[in-house]
Amino acid sequence: MNAYAIYGGKRLLQFALVVFIGINLAFVITHSTPIDPVEQTVAAATSFGSTSPDAVEMMRQSLRELYGLGGTPWSQYVVFWKRIVVGDFGPSLSAFPTPVSVLINRALPWTIGLLTVSTLLAWILGNLLGGLAGYYRDSKFLKITGIVAMGVHPIPYYIVAFVLLVVFGYLWPVLPITGGSQMNLQWGWNTTFILSVLRHSILPVISLVLVGIGGWFMGMRSLVSNIVTEDYVTYAELAGVSRQRILYAYVMRNALVPQVTGLAMSLGSIFNGAIITEQVFGYPGIGTLLISAVHTGDYSLVIGIAAVSIIAVSVCVLVIDLLYPLLDPRVKVS
Amino acid sequence: MIAAIQSSAVNAAPATGRVLTVDNLRAYYQTRYFGIEREVRAVDGVTLHVDRNEVYGLAGESSCGKTTLIKTLVRAIRPPLNVVGGSVTFNFAGRDCDIYALNQSDLENIRWRHLSYILQGSMNVLNPVRRVQQSFVDFAYRHIGQPMPAFLKLIEAHLHRVRLEPTVLDAYPHELSGGMRQRVTIALASVCRPDFIIADEPTTALDVVVQKDVLSMLRDVQREICSSMILVTHDIGVHANVSDRLGIMYAGRLAEEGRTVDVIRNPRHPYTSHLVTSLPRIGDVTQKRGLEGAPPNLANPPPGCRFHPRCPLAIEICRAEHPPMVDLAPGHRVACWVTAPPIKPGALQ
Amino acid sequence: MLTIFRDLFRYNREFRIGALLTGFIVFFAALSLVSPYPPQDVYIVPPDLPPSPTYWFGTTSRGQDVFWQLTFAIRNTMLFGFAVALLSRLLSIAIGMWSGYKGGIVDRVLMSINDTFIVIPLFPLLVLFYFVMRDKMSWPLLALAMACLGWAYDARLIRSVAMSLKNREFTQQSVFSGMRTSEIVLQEHLPYVLPIVFYTTMNNMNWSIGLEVTLSVLGFTNIDTPTIGVMIYWANQHTAMVAGIWWWIFFPVLFVIILFIGLFLLAISMNEYIDPRSRLARMGGMRG
Repeated sequence: MNAYAIYGGKRLLQFALVVFIGINLAFVITHSTPIDPVEQTVAAATSFGSTSPDAVEMMRQSLRELYGLGGTPWSQYVVFWKRIVVGDFGPSLSAFPTPVSVLINRALPWTIGLLTVSTLLAWILGNLLGGLAGYYRDSKFLKITGIVAMGVHPIPYYIVAFVLLVVFGYLWPVLPITGGSQMNLQWGWNTTFILSVLRHSILPVISLVLVGIGGWFMGMRSLVSNIVTEDYVTYAELAGVSRQRILYAYVMRNALVPQVTGLAMSLGSIFNGAIITEQVFGYPGIGTLLISAVHTGDYSLVIGIAAVSIIAVSVCVLVIDLLYPLLDPRVKVS
Repeated sequence: MIAAIQSSAVNAAPATGRVLTVDNLRAYYQTRYFGIEREVRAVDGVTLHVDRNEVYGLAGESSCGKTTLIKTLVRAIRPPLNVVGGSVTFNFAGRDCDIYALNQSDLENIRWRHLSYILQGSMNVLNPVRRVQQSFVDFAYRHIGQPMPAFLKLIEAHLHRVRLEPTVLDAYPHELSGGMRQRVTIALASVCRPDFIIADEPTTALDVVVQKDVLSMLRDVQREICSSMILVTHDIGVHANVSDRLGIMYAGRLAEEGRTVDVIRNPRHPYTSHLVTSLPRIGDVTQKRGLEGAPPNLANPPPGCRFHPRCPLAIEICRAEHPPMVDLAPGHRVACWVTAPPIKPGALQ
Repeated sequence: MLTIFRDLFRYNREFRIGALLTGFIVFFAALSLVSPYPPQDVYIVPPDLPPSPTYWFGTTSRGQDVFWQLTFAIRNTMLFGFAVALLSRLLSIAIGMWSGYKGGIVDRVLMSINDTFIVIPLFPLLVLFYFVMRDKMSWPLLALAMACLGWAYDARLIRSVAMSLKNREFTQQSVFSGMRTSEIVLQEHLPYVLPIVFYTTMNNMNWSIGLEVTLSVLGFTNIDTPTIGVMIYWANQHTAMVAGIWWWIFFPVLFVIILFIGLFLLAISMNEYIDPRSRLARMGGMRG
């Protein structure tokens, strides 16, 4: 029990470090530009027609407060961190006066749902197929699946999503290509709504799974090819343990261990892919929110989303890290 | 139930007789990669036999082919290792079986029940993510044919007999010391009371004190279940303690074979003499000298007798032709033109 | 290293295909040097013409020849990807080798920081970067930003190579025989490190080009310089799909997919070469 506490403590520290560095990076990026976002917003607001200098000055003041850009760099830094800890980024400019946190909370569940489903699907399918391919080296079906999966894998998420959009939007319009659900439906736990949500999520999920599956497939396949030469597999074969049992209990079970680590490490880039894919399909997650925030010049919303992304991904990685010893009993010893 | 298991392995066949017959076995590593073809003749014409309730020791330096030989004996070969000639025939429960003629399911039935293996107890010999008990279940449950509670009781009784704590079943492999792991593999290999056990370097990589424990456990187990054994180790001292007969391998072939006492007291092959005299003995003050040269490259072995480049006794014919195995005394065979010339030219063993 | 390439090309099918695909793209990009049209001019040819013998890949709604525009686009995209990969090599090799050789607390601290950069989602940060830079965003600046963010994954790989080299016998021998550290690294270790540097460079190029395409399609880069992403951006702005001008989208997408798959094949065939166990698995052997 004690060893686990030490391990958990270390993982918690790493989590804190990630969040710390990530948020600081966001701060550095936003505060080291030559452009003043306040001036930008003022310029955009006053570009049509004239406004009195007093009104402009008031706007400047309130914007400065809104953006947390008043005062010394140190006080700005403190304000920045305070907002993140509390979770209050102020009102959104594009959807004034709705607070940024409300907008994010509305969009986050969609992203989390999409991310969880497609990541699990890609990981499980990819590992399963890859493991079988590494063990049964002569199977033609597995070889072909492998080539297809690995062929799609290097293509960036945007292109795959875009191709799917074109195919299912224009060439063969059988699936909805925008939105999280049909527009006029009542939100709630009724079957029509849930079915509509599922239908609308098919394309984004397929897009993410197509790109992701190749990576897991390749990794698992090479892991399995290596594990098959390990002593404990040889020993089990010498003992006449059935091929199927060896595949699942000896080979895949051991290969899963580094794959879980790999999952934790790839969450960052899978998250990137998810929010890009959302944008293509107009899926109402924080990806779409982020892009539209950039286009409307909504400073607080962009920072809020960046901060939430960093924290969300770090929390997921922390959870995976904490569950890891369940999979690999050797971890506690170190 | 336990009595039934005891009897089936031991009493179904006559108390004497051959359990293993190897006839002119040849197994090569054959590779072709990046345009280079290569054939490594790891086992090049080995003939031997093992009787019931007998421990046959196999000795030789590293890369002499002994590991490849035993892999071939249990049909644990995978390309690029291929069997190119010869046969391996076991005798289980009174019936002969050519291990290379069996189909997959017969092979799985034989494995562990009649033929088991003690792998060198490296860190990774048991599944690292499962407890030791799971290995026993995986390997032996299907042979014992008992419901799980009775099976577990059987395992614990077996562990008691070989003086291992039953708590070892709940441990993960990495929690055991090297010596413990080795003893667990010995217990594991003997739990089904097989006719034949192959022990591959069971004491290498263990310190001397632990070696003594492991060896005595090995000997006790073998004596109790009366299985035949091939014991592979380069350590002649171990053979002196445990093996009934001893075969010396060099460069993929047997150089000498006989009862352990004969081979050690009366080595006939120059290589054996060197191996035996290099054993440190209490009271022995002679200076030890190493053999010159290095083991031959098995991809391109020297013609004739493979030992001739390093042999102090080499004569003309040693460079040209490989010497046949000749019976010097009943049960003591040697392959050397000088110390064991065939009685008539071409008279083969 | 060159012999490795030669052997791989001769005997490894994936490497051959990858090299051919990438070579084709490089050749196509080189054609930009003989383009009859300057890349940033618009409305120089009749717009919206489908592929024909005069305009091989058709023309865009902005009056540009898709074929020649594409040569510039793919050239710029490739150069960008290469620049990012090169810049981030500096960071990943430096950090990876230092961490691997030193070990101990230096290694632990560097790897903690390294893991941070692996976990942090980079896309929101890059979008934030564009948001605050706006018009001041330029290609060199973006390349620098991406290089500073994308070195982490490769640094880990290089570190593991460095760690295993440090403990090898021939290294101890070199140290005992009095070679200086720099000599050891350059003469003894480099042949082992170069293949993995190659592998990570190909991977990194794929990553950076992918990110460039994504950012450009969203309009988050300098949209006056033609790159693959920018071409698709303009096509979207002119609703090319709806208007039926499919060739404006099809050819950039096709060519960039060829580039991705080419680089990817090069990377994985080199990776397979590095790992001796996979080499052994390939050696199924000849039947005697």
